[in-house]
Amino acid sequence: MRRFKRFQWGLLLVGLVLGVMLSLQFRVTRDIQQNEVIRRTQDLSEQVAQTRRERDALQTRVTGLRSQMEQMSAGSQGTQLKQEMDQAGILAGVTELTGPGVEVTLNDSSVSLKPGENPNLYVLHDEDVLRVLNELKAAGAEAVAMNGERFLATTEIRCTDPTIVLNKNKRLAPPYVVTAIGNPDTMESSLKMKGGVAETLQFFGIQVSVKKMAQVAVPSYAGGVQYDYARAAGL
Amino acid sequence: MNKSVSISILLVAVVLGAMMVFQFRTTSSIDKGVSLSREQELSIERKQLERDILHLQEEVADLTAKLNEAGQGQTGTAGALESQLARLKLYAGLLPVAGPGVEVLLDNLPDRARPGGVSGFDNIRDDDLLKVINELRGVGAEAIAINGQRILSTTEIRLAGNHINVNLTKLSPPYRVSAVGNAGALKSGMEIKDGLVEYMDTLGISVKVQIKDSVQIPAYTGAVHFEYAKLAQRR
Repeated sequence: MRRFKRFQWGLLLVGLVLGVMLSLQFRVTRDIQQNEVIRRTQDLSEQVAQTRRERDALQTRVTGLRSQMEQMSAGSQGTQLKQEMDQAGILAGVTELTGPGVEVTLNDSSVSLKPGENPNLYVLHDEDVLRVLNELKAAGAEAVAMNGERFLATTEIRCTDPTIVLNKNKRLAPPYVVTAIGNPDTMESSLKMKGGVAETLQFFGIQVSVKKMAQVAVPSYAGGVQYDYARAAGL
Repeated sequence: MNKSVSISILLVAVVLGAMMVFQFRTTSSIDKGVSLSREQELSIERKQLERDILHLQEEVADLTAKLNEAGQGQTGTAGALESQLARLKLYAGLLPVAGPGVEVLLDNLPDRARPGGVSGFDNIRDDDLLKVINELRGVGAEAIAINGQRILSTTEIRLAGNHINVNLTKLSPPYRVSAVGNAGALKSGMEIKDGLVEYMDTLGISVKVQIKDSVQIPAYTGAVHFEYAKLAQRR
């Protein structure tokens, strides 16, 4: 025993670790191959990835075509038509925009729970994000996005801890950064006023920070804009 | 002598390590980035992606046709721009639409008060309308109006005294929320167990959801003016 040099102890350790790693890998691989449920899920996962690639490719095409349309309309710069197109485009969410505004960062509470406390209270909820967005709009926000996803008239929020899903299949991870173009002062004070949204969120330990920006970017909606049920009507 | 001792130590350690792994049962789900309960989620995601693809294909076809039209000279360009404007206005909420959907009627329950409030008097708050709209959007509402006010991407819903302002227009209860979309999905979205209808009842708010073959959603008729948002310069 005494003849074991330091390096031999090292060898022992390395060997142990190697043995553990090799058999773990073997075990994991064997388990996956034998597990029907995992195989199905992996197949489905691959299908989703494939469909997503297809969607992304189409999205790129649409973005290019929209850009071509924009260039074509540039010829009517200064006309009533161009102004109406720009305005409708902003509301419809199909154009990329910049302008002064605010950046609002939201995150789950980092408060450590006291025994018996309900953890659900300190997690960001749908209504928290809805209130922030609503406050921004009431303060004149012209275009809003969160973590790069544009808000449309049809955009919903689903807080599914620990992520947020919006626009049906865009999944966002914290921290959540809301960018809004509008009057920075009006929007900031609207959020931070006494008895206002920021105060309510902070009561539950939700982390809220509002930053005025001289220039903020709001991307265009990444998706096709199309109605399946609604049709233009003469009212 | 030392060399063979080292090798044997190594081998023994590897075997030992392997044995250790197989002694312990793995209890956690195999983590390859996809958890076992994700199948349903993935299936939903794939369906949504396929819907995205359909919409994008339709938009590609539409924009391509318009660009072709524009390529045929002055009148072609004018025609293409007019139809693009009409399309943008449709999705912006600047044109009336109609289609199948639901009408959700919210009213105060006269014999019941919101916790902390006065019996039967304005139990309905802006938060409540925000939640209703969010839920309808979540189940696919394509166009929404409250008491005739079209909901745009910029629309605010603000409690002001004993009424609610939507698009800076004063609204009073009862609130009729009209939505076009898959009528069945819209209705069940609101009426699911532990859903909004149930919850709002506890707040002293009655919610009635009625399916309609043809829901008329008016256009937004207020002023449209953007002071801060500008089209981003093409890179």
